[in-house]
Amino acid sequence: MKKNMKKLVAFIGTFALAMSVTACGGSGGGESKSSGQDTAAADNPAAAADEAAPIEEAAEAESGGGEISGTLTVWEHDYHFEACLKDVIAGFEKQYPDVTVEYEIKDDNYDSILSTAMQSGDGPDLFWTNGSVTATMGNFVSNGVCVDLTDKVDYSLMPEAAMGLTMIDGKSYSVPWLTMDTRTVYYNIDMFEENGWSVPKTFSEFEELLATVKAAGITPISLCPNSPWTLLFAFEPILSGYDPEYTTGLSDYSVPAAGDVVKGCLNKMLEWADKGYFGDNWLGVADENAQYLAFTTGNTAMEIGGSWEASTFAANNPDLNFGAFAVPAEDGTTGLVGTPANGFSVNAATENMDAALAFANYCATLEAQTIWVQSQGAVSASDKIEASTDIAKMISEGGKGNIYTSWQSVLNYHSEGGEANTIWGEDFSKVFTGGMTVDDFADEISAAMD
Amino acid sequence: MKKKKHILFIAPGFILYTIFIIFPIFYVLYLSVFEWSGLGPMKFVGLENFKTLFFNERMAPTMFNALKNNLKYLLCVWLIITPFQYLIAYLMYIKIPAHKYIKFMIFMPYVISSTIVSFFATLLFNPNIGFLNKLFEWMGHPEWQSAWFGDPNRAFKLMIVLIIWQGAGTGIMIFYSNLMDISRDVMESCRIDGCNEWQRFLYILLPLSLPSCASIITMSTIWALAIFDMPFILGGANGGVNGCLDFANLVFYRYTFGTGLNGKSNLGFGASICVLMFVVMLFVTFLQNKFLSKFEYEN
Repeated sequence: MKKNMKKLVAFIGTFALAMSVTACGGSGGGESKSSGQDTAAADNPAAAADEAAPIEEAAEAESGGGEISGTLTVWEHDYHFEACLKDVIAGFEKQYPDVTVEYEIKDDNYDSILSTAMQSGDGPDLFWTNGSVTATMGNFVSNGVCVDLTDKVDYSLMPEAAMGLTMIDGKSYSVPWLTMDTRTVYYNIDMFEENGWSVPKTFSEFEELLATVKAAGITPISLCPNSPWTLLFAFEPILSGYDPEYTTGLSDYSVPAAGDVVKGCLNKMLEWADKGYFGDNWLGVADENAQYLAFTTGNTAMEIGGSWEASTFAANNPDLNFGAFAVPAEDGTTGLVGTPANGFSVNAATENMDAALAFANYCATLEAQTIWVQSQGAVSASDKIEASTDIAKMISEGGKGNIYTSWQSVLNYHSEGGEANTIWGEDFSKVFTGGMTVDDFADEISAAMD
Repeated sequence: MKKKKHILFIAPGFILYTIFIIFPIFYVLYLSVFEWSGLGPMKFVGLENFKTLFFNERMAPTMFNALKNNLKYLLCVWLIITPFQYLIAYLMYIKIPAHKYIKFMIFMPYVISSTIVSFFATLLFNPNIGFLNKLFEWMGHPEWQSAWFGDPNRAFKLMIVLIIWQGAGTGIMIFYSNLMDISRDVMESCRIDGCNEWQRFLYILLPLSLPSCASIITMSTIWALAIFDMPFILGGANGGVNGCLDFANLVFYRYTFGTGLNGKSNLGFGASICVLMFVVMLFVTFLQNKFLSKFEYEN
């Protein structure tokens, strides 16, 4: 009897443990369906959206004339954006003194946390997604979670490139930010001056510079191999310098997504890794924070990453004197890979739709966009907004006006359900860590493309 | 009347247990035959999730690699971690010099959160800014430098070391309490009978502490098959370099909540991973119980 009881306890304990994690997510999903808020949104998203104020009403409210009040919660995905979000909220609250906006930064595994919150009906009123670049917003839209903002937000300020991020099936579900989310090579100006190194003008010079820095006993580039994103933000600008003609062809998808050029560029990066240009033991750089720290603490001469990282570098080490340049092509051509950034979507289940739409509309104004760009010290994607920092201007000027389409966005837009993008997310790191060959990776991507 | 009272007495617990334990278990089984992102309608797919898990050319290697790592870790628990815990408990029991200080130092890391442990690991092992590589360089032995957690041959071993450092304390305390609980009369009589230290250990202490071994092994086994936090923190959600720190729960996390599927979440597929893990746990626990039943004795 005692033995049987013990077995029973072991059985139940084992099963409960194995199931507990899914049960949380699963039951959360069930709750979401049965809750009043979500039922309204899921059963009739159009009705939920129709309850919202149209542009005119929102605009009226924007002038402070509406009776908009209450509390809003906004979710952002990265601490890089905390300062500018706070400033935008302050600007909004000045116009809408009766509305209190709270924000939460969900730094790690944002998509997972957001999806779980939405499934359980505890989602924020407004939330960031990567727009049409990843599947999250599309999934939300198909399940009636996002409000169709096409006729509810004044998008007149937004260029076509920015609007592309917001669109699912021809309708807009988010408000973009007019920051130019590009990638660049950051370099330690003091270290360059001390060693007599200069900013390269051609791709060969860039390679020579890497060799020279390495020969001086300094790690040339700080890079983390464990995240597909950190690798991507290095790969894309290097690709643009490796073959600018190919990179230009990405804009209309007139070049193969994983052809000889991509393979050649990946092999070039692997060659650099073998030569120690990313550090002798770079496979141990665990995450992006470790990558940044190596640069900001002066342990590496350069760092290739997103334009949004500049504020983090400045915060990590205010004394760091750093500049930026674009990876040059052999003929001296340079350009910026990237697009405007996506911003917030409105939760169809929000209890304060008027305030949420007012916030979305405020985000679309020149005032909010200017605050966002300048507070972040970002590169501007609009000629109406001037970049506020020297580094942003430096990044912007480095591109000499050339804008390239992101290689990764091509994977997303030109494969069934973003399958090539999923493959990239899973296997890109393996190419650099020896788990997969460049050819195998390219074959996988090619097979998934339209 | 008496029977009714009994029913009333157990009813609250029974109802709560059914709602929060039994129902979710069956709900997960139910979910495993659906494709569902957690939002919108559920699509019945039969055994398709399991087919993907075992036969999909991209998914199956990932899942089997994770299972292999789980079993590898389980072996480490059985053959390295538990014996180590027992050894330390025994050394404290025989009161080696500075045993109180050692006891404190061993138990202290247990109260440190896994996140802090991972931060320590970064400070120590990061190849660019970590202490170890810098130390080896300073000592004039750059050949000793390593990528540490970036080296698939070392990452798993290092993780075991960190787990022992952080988590061995509980098992040690349970073993130690069990040893302290052994009757002094027995110990004195074995001394009077002329037992040496080895005989005392082999014929008195070890057999009398087997019940705590059974408890610790049972708990450790279940936790070994459900490990998540340490590999997640040390190797990231993708399971470290070439999946050397990938475990079933990490795979579950990636594919259920979206990071592995370009932002698409699939609770049904995640549920199928849980069902698989349940079967594995059930099998291992069954074998283990068969073995551990030999450890039982009548007081």
